[in-house]
Parts: sequence; structure tokens; C-alpha cells
Amino acid sequence: MTKVASLDARTNQILRLQVIWRVVFAVLAAAGTLAPWIGWVTLASNWQKILVSALLLVATLASLIGARQLTRRSHAGRLVSLTLDYLAFVTCAVITLNTGEIFIGIDALGETFGRGLPYLGIAIAGYFLGAIEDYYPQRNLSVTTSLKTVSRWIILGGFVLFLWQVGAVNGLLYFLGKLAQPKGFVAVAGILVFGFSLWSMMRPEVAQALNAKTNHEQIINGWLFLSPNLLGFLIFFAGPLILSFYFSFTDSDAFNPPNWVGFDNYARILNVRFAWLSTPDQLARDVVDIKVYDEVGRLTLGNGGLLFAAADKFFWLALRNTLTFVLFAVPFSVIPALLLSNVLNSKLPGMKFFRAVYFMPSIAAVVGISLVWQWLYNATIGYINYFITLGIEFWNNLFNLAVVDPKIQWVSDEKTALFAVIIIAAWQSMGFNTVLFLAGLQNIPGELYEAATVDGAGSWAKFWGITLPMLAPTTFYVVSTTTIQAMQVFEQVFILMNPPEGPNNSTITLVLYLYRSGFQNFKQGYASAIAWVLFIVIFGLTLVQFQRQRRSSIYEG
Amino acid sequence: MNPQSYKLRRFLGNFAIYFVLSFFALVMIFPFLYMLATSFKIPSDTFRYPPRMLPRDPVEITVTGYGKPLPLYYVEVDGVQKEFALAQSNIKVGTYAPADNLNATVERYLSEVKPTGGAMNPQSVTINGEETKLFDVELDGQVIPMILVSQTTVGEFIDPQNPEIKVYRNVRLSDPVENISWHPENYQQVVELNNMSRALTNTALVTILVVLGQLVTSVFGGYAFARLKFPGRDTVFVFYLGTIMIPFVMLIVPLYQLMVLIGWTDRLAALIIPWIFTAYGTFLMRQHFITFPKEIEEAALLDGASRFQILKDILIPASVPALATQATFTFLYAWNSFFWPLVIINVGNEKNHVLTLALNVLRGRASDTPNLILAGAAIAIIPPLIVFILGQRFFVESVASSGVKG
Repeated sequence: MTKVASLDARTNQILRLQVIWRVVFAVLAAAGTLAPWIGWVTLASNWQKILVSALLLVATLASLIGARQLTRRSHAGRLVSLTLDYLAFVTCAVITLNTGEIFIGIDALGETFGRGLPYLGIAIAGYFLGAIEDYYPQRNLSVTTSLKTVSRWIILGGFVLFLWQVGAVNGLLYFLGKLAQPKGFVAVAGILVFGFSLWSMMRPEVAQALNAKTNHEQIINGWLFLSPNLLGFLIFFAGPLILSFYFSFTDSDAFNPPNWVGFDNYARILNVRFAWLSTPDQLARDVVDIKVYDEVGRLTLGNGGLLFAAADKFFWLALRNTLTFVLFAVPFSVIPALLLSNVLNSKLPGMKFFRAVYFMPSIAAVVGISLVWQWLYNATIGYINYFITLGIEFWNNLFNLAVVDPKIQWVSDEKTALFAVIIIAAWQSMGFNTVLFLAGLQNIPGELYEAATVDGAGSWAKFWGITLPMLAPTTFYVVSTTTIQAMQVFEQVFILMNPPEGPNNSTITLVLYLYRSGFQNFKQGYASAIAWVLFIVIFGLTLVQFQRQRRSSIYEG
Repeated sequence: MNPQSYKLRRFLGNFAIYFVLSFFALVMIFPFLYMLATSFKIPSDTFRYPPRMLPRDPVEITVTGYGKPLPLYYVEVDGVQKEFALAQSNIKVGTYAPADNLNATVERYLSEVKPTGGAMNPQSVTINGEETKLFDVELDGQVIPMILVSQTTVGEFIDPQNPEIKVYRNVRLSDPVENISWHPENYQQVVELNNMSRALTNTALVTILVVLGQLVTSVFGGYAFARLKFPGRDTVFVFYLGTIMIPFVMLIVPLYQLMVLIGWTDRLAALIIPWIFTAYGTFLMRQHFITFPKEIEEAALLDGASRFQILKDILIPASVPALATQATFTFLYAWNSFFWPLVIINVGNEKNHVLTLALNVLRGRASDTPNLILAGAAIAIIPPLIVFILGQRFFVESVASSGVKG
């Protein structure tokens, strides 16, 4: 590969064509750069115009550079060419699919998919039939080859029947019908042109003519393999993340062009007022301007008190509830998990069974689970109050007491509503954390315990002296992931409570308030600001835990 | 320590361990059992107090002389508990007593007792300053004016073998005879009531596509990160890692606007396409591929295999457990997701509801029939449980390992 190959006529022609193509591409991209600004294409808002123009401007420049490099027979020209053509190819393919309403057509598939499912099952069964051979490799060879053939036919047949049942033929005809419009023709033409260009540049002779080296193959394949993932990541993750930051400084409502409002959203969130009260039950309107501020809470101090008022009281109530939730739900989940994992770590039979049982709640849908608990919490017929009643009766009979059955109104009492949610969340995440702790425990070298036993340490001392310090990294991981999860509590509250914010706003959480602001009142700029405040709180909490973990990890040798 | 007491102590220790473990196992599994049991009950059974686990039906019996089958109750007759059929309910019975001797009470049907002096000219007597009506009550063949002390409602219970034997008891205080019987038709009913079958298909469709899509993108991406050297790779990788901890709610507003822009609100595509690109899955696949010996790959490259062939013929067949794990993870995530569908799919557009959304609607629609709600919950919860039980071996192990290595 190192020797310079003499250019044959055909390769030369391809390269010359490619240089011309790069110039044409640059001209088209330049036209596209200008298009939104001189009114050829209408785009809704400024950021879209800027984004489209910037991308096309980069493409124009890159294409010109590519043309220059190709005339100099430099391999960089090939890389630029491939990148641009690939991106344009993907864009055209997506436009083609979108014009043919493939993405929207998934809805129609929802209607027919159920009919096709059994046949898909047949195809999968066929696959397993073929896979039997892998498990019994020493079987008779002729049997396995015929089995493979049969399995292949079953897969094929099942799949064809599946396609037939879901109406693939109609779908294809519909797709082609929708494609027959100017936009569709342009997109298909684009696919062909860019595809041809890609194919010509991927030819080994062309690569050789441009002195391709082995690491170039890795560069091309690397970006090619990463590209589906990276493009999706940029479009559906990184881009929205930046947009979210931008929206938090606007009054966006999802449907009209957003207006820049500077720090207004953050200022409204952080607009709070503390005021001294001369008596504990002095009215809020005596000390703060109640046209702006609402009372969030008050603290009684001797004869007076301290009033906390905020312009947006729901945010602060939500923050209070969320932090309360985290403060209880995390220990209630982590501490039992830690203890259970230590018990599970004993080498007795049946531990795998228990581990699997503990894991079950964390895989069930939160929505379903919350519905089940809603009935368990029912004050008159629910099992939880029934168990409490039984327990109290037993206790009273045993000690001849007269403890009164509290008959807790779990979800409709503002004192217990948040607690009811905490119990569900702790119940659901406990098993997952147990398994994580168990894995951490199994990584602790047994010699440590043996040495401690020789030194005469009891099991309690071993737990505090060896297990806990050695488990510190796992504990950090468990506590921080559980905290991050808990900070985003939404689904349990949304399903369990009716209305979701609970009695007297006792279960309004940050994500619930975000949902209400952004998707019920459509103040999406404000919702974005709430999201960033939430992120900062989560980030701060994680950082604090990280610091603590660093300090305690001195035990690790 | 003698060996006997050592054995005893070990036995007690193990007993305590199993006791604690079983207690927690019961706590973990009880809501699931409750859900399943209740989903097979009839509505009236779900509202009973004290609550009972197994679904029961009241027993009915056909008695000669009565057209309809009659419900059976436990009735105490002469100190013996017997099963009697309720022939007639809502019979009003009054307790009467003479005005001058309120302790000498007799019981009569209200319908058999007429007011003293007839309905047109009722007579009354004053007791403790209150005017009280008088009734003609027949006692031992004599008609005596009495006052109504209290009245109750009773039912007429008859012996199913011998309908002539009748007793009168308060129906509410009598226990009905019940037998355990399951009502799988609840599932049928909830599917019909709530378009649940469509939601189930949609969920299956969305889940399958998300799982397949994620596997493809993260296998390719993970391979590129693990095995191919190209400029910018490590920067992108660090960038990926940094975003793993970013909570999803950060994205929900801009992602929603993006969907509005492309016209995917209310569309199943919005539940699929954005979710098939995952930094976390790519990271997991990269961690897996990086442990794979390089030599095999280099040998294949020398033989002229392309990177794609290496991935397809060597790496993927050797990575089935890792792929199964990730598929299980993704399956659970896609199947159970609620917040994003709630935001993106309109409540009115029931055609495109997924199971979690259908449950949310069902919650309001069937609030007086917990059996149906919990049957719906079971439909949403059981498929992931089956997947979990099948993939348990891979899944739990990998949660255990990813947590610590990551």
C-alpha cells in the first residue's frame, strides 16, 4: 500500500469529477446559507435561521477546502468529501423517509401490529430452533444442517407473514404515493447523487491514488460507526440541552417565537422575602406586600416569629417537599438495603431467590405500582390500615392497654401524604440498592475478615471496621444515584394523589411543578429555568456526597 | 463451647437470617399478590372490611317454590350455625310496648299493625311530655294499644332443604356463605373498557423498536469507542460520560418543542426515535468490547475482513449476554416510561396511548372498581416481570457489576 500507484484513466476521471462536484456542492450550500435571509425559505424563529445558515456556511467552506485538497491529491480532501457527502446523504434519507410519512406511519402500524405479532413469534421460534445447534454442538452433523435450513425457512416464512399481516404492501404503496411530490423527488435525487459520490470515493483505487494510510481506514470507520449514535445524540440530547439553557432566558410558550427576557425567570424563582413577626400568628399582609409575595412558611420564635414569603410560593413549597422526600426516601431505601445485603451475603442456600424477589419492585412500572399502593393505602378498606389495626389490637391485648387506632387517612391528610409517597419510593428502590451493595460486598477480600477474626473482633466490630469503610465507593454510588432519582420524583405523586399536588400542596414536587408550568400553563421558558435550578440542586448534592466520599475513602489502601 | 451448643447457635442464627429475609420478601411481594388477587375479584368483594386476599363469590341456591336462586347466609338457629337462604329482605319489624309497661315488648311486622282508631283518626298518648302514636297490637288473641319503641329491618331466612322453616335475622349482621372463585373476565372487561389492547400493542411496538434501535446504535458506537482510533474520539467519549448523570427532565421542554417543530406531537414516533440514541448504552457496550482480546480481531483484519464483518461475525455472537442485559434494561425503561408519553401524547388521542397512559385514564374511569384498575395494572406489570424472570441471570449480575465498575 505504501508504493504510489500510477493513476489509471478512470480514477483520474473520478477525482476530476469529484473536484467539480465539490465546487457545485459549495455553490448549493452557499445558496442555502442565504436562503432563509432573503425569503426563499421561511423558518419560524431566529435561532433556527442562525442554526441552518451556520451549518450550511460551514459546509460551503469545508467543500471548497475539500476541492482544493483534492486538486493537490491530498488524502484530507477525501476525508472532507466523504464527511460532507455522508451528512448530506443522511439528511436526504431522513427527508425521504419523512416525506414518505414513515415516521408518522408508525401510528398506523400500531393498529395492525397486533395481528402480526403471532407471526413474529413464529419467526423468533424459528431462530431458536436454529440456535439449538449451538447448545448441542456434538450432535449429528446432517441433522443440524437440515435443522438450520428448516429454521431459516421458518424465520423467512414467519417474517413474510408478519409483513403481510401488518399491511406492509399497503404501507409501501402509501410511502411511494407520498413520495411523488417535488420535495420527495429532490430528496431521492439527493440520495442517488450523494450515494454515488460516496461510492466513488470509497473505491480502493481512489483511496490508493490519494495515498490512504492504514490509520485513515480507522478514522473513516470510526466516525462512520459512531455517526448514527453521535448524530442522534447531538439532535436529541446535546442540542436540546443547549436549547433548554436558552429557553430559560425566554418567555417561550412552545408555539410562538420566544422573546428574550434575560434573568426574569430566575429572578422570579429567587424573589423571596424574610420578615420578622411581632406575634406568631400575625398576618402576612402586615409585613410583606401580598400583591407580590405569598407566604410559604413561618417559624415561631418565642413571642415573635419569622415569615418566609416568596413571589412564587409553589416553587419553594415544591423545593421543600422534594428535599423532604429525598431526606427520608434515600435513607429508608439505602439503610435497609445495606443491612439486607449483609444478610444476603451469607453463603446459605436460597440467597439468589431472595435477591430476585427483592429486585422485583424495581422493574415494575411506577404507574402500576402506584395504583396498587393507592388501594393499599385506602383508609377504610386498605390493607395497611388493617395491619395497623391488627397490630394495635394485639398490642392492647398483650399489655392490656388502650392505644387508639389512628385510622390514618394516608393520601388525603396533608401530614401523611408525602410520607405515603416516600414509602412507595423506598420500597421500590430498596431491592436494586441491595443488589448493588451485595456486589460491593463480594468485592471485599475475605482475608480482611479472617485477619480481624484472628485479632478477636466481633461481627459488629467487623461491620463498622471493615465492611462500611470498604463499601464506601459503593455507598457513594448508591446514595448519589438514589438521590438523583429521588430529586426527580414525579410519577408516584402524579398517580397516587388526586389532585397531584396533594392536600394543601403537601406533595407538589419540583418535577411536578415543572410539568404544571411547562405543560399545563405552557410557560415553557419558566419551566426550563426550574429545570436548571433542579439541576444545580442535584449537582450540589452529588458534589457534597462526592466530597464526603473522598474524605472517608482514606481507608482504601 | 461444646459442639451441641455451637450447632444450636448456628441453627438459631440461620433461623434468624431466614426470618428476616422472609419478612422482607413478604413486604416486597405482598403488593404484587394483592394486585393479582384483587384483579380476579368481583367489585363488591373488593370493598369488604376486613380485607381478604382470595377472591370470593356469594353462594346462591335454588329453593323449590322460589323462582330466582337465593343467596345463602350463615344463620344461628337454636344455638347451632346453619346455612339458610335469604328469601325476602327489607322486612320492617317494629318493637311495641304498652304505654304503661315499656319493658313488656313484643315484635310485629310493621305492615300487620294498624294505628289505633284507624288511619283517619289516629290516637296518641303522651309519654314524658312527648306525644306518641298508639297502635293496635294483637297479643294472645287480644288487641292492646301499644306504642312503637323501635323498628329494624330484617330478612326472612329459610332452610333450603325445608322451606317451611323460617327465621328472621338482620341481613347486614349475617355472614354470607361464600366460595373462592376467580374472575378472569375482569381482564376481558378492562381491555374492552379502556382500549387496553391497542395500548398493549402500541407499548409492544414502541418497546421492540426502541430496544432494537438502541442495540444497533450502541453496538456500533461502543465498538468505535473501544476499538477504533480516530482523532476526536476521546473528546467525544468524555462528553458522553459527562452527560450520563444529566437528568431527563432537563430535556423535556426543548425536546417537546423539537417534536412540535417536526410535527411529532401525538405520534408514536416521538416515543421511539429520540430514545434509540443513548450515551449510557454506548458506554456499557464500550466497556464490554474493550475487554475482548484484540488478537482475534487483528487476525481477521489480516485475512481481509472488514470492520463490519468483524463486528457481525466475531464480536456480536460473543457478546450475547451483554446484549441481552442491555436489551432487558432498555425493555424495562421503554415499557415503563410515563412522563414523556404523558407530555407528548394527548389524553384525547387514545389510539396512540401506551399502557402507562391507558392506566392513567383508567384510574379516573374505573375509580369505583378496584378490581378493574388492578387488572389493568397487572397487564402493565406482568410482561416486564416475565422478561425479568427469563433474563434474571444476566440482568441482576450485570446490575451488580456495572454499579461498581462504572
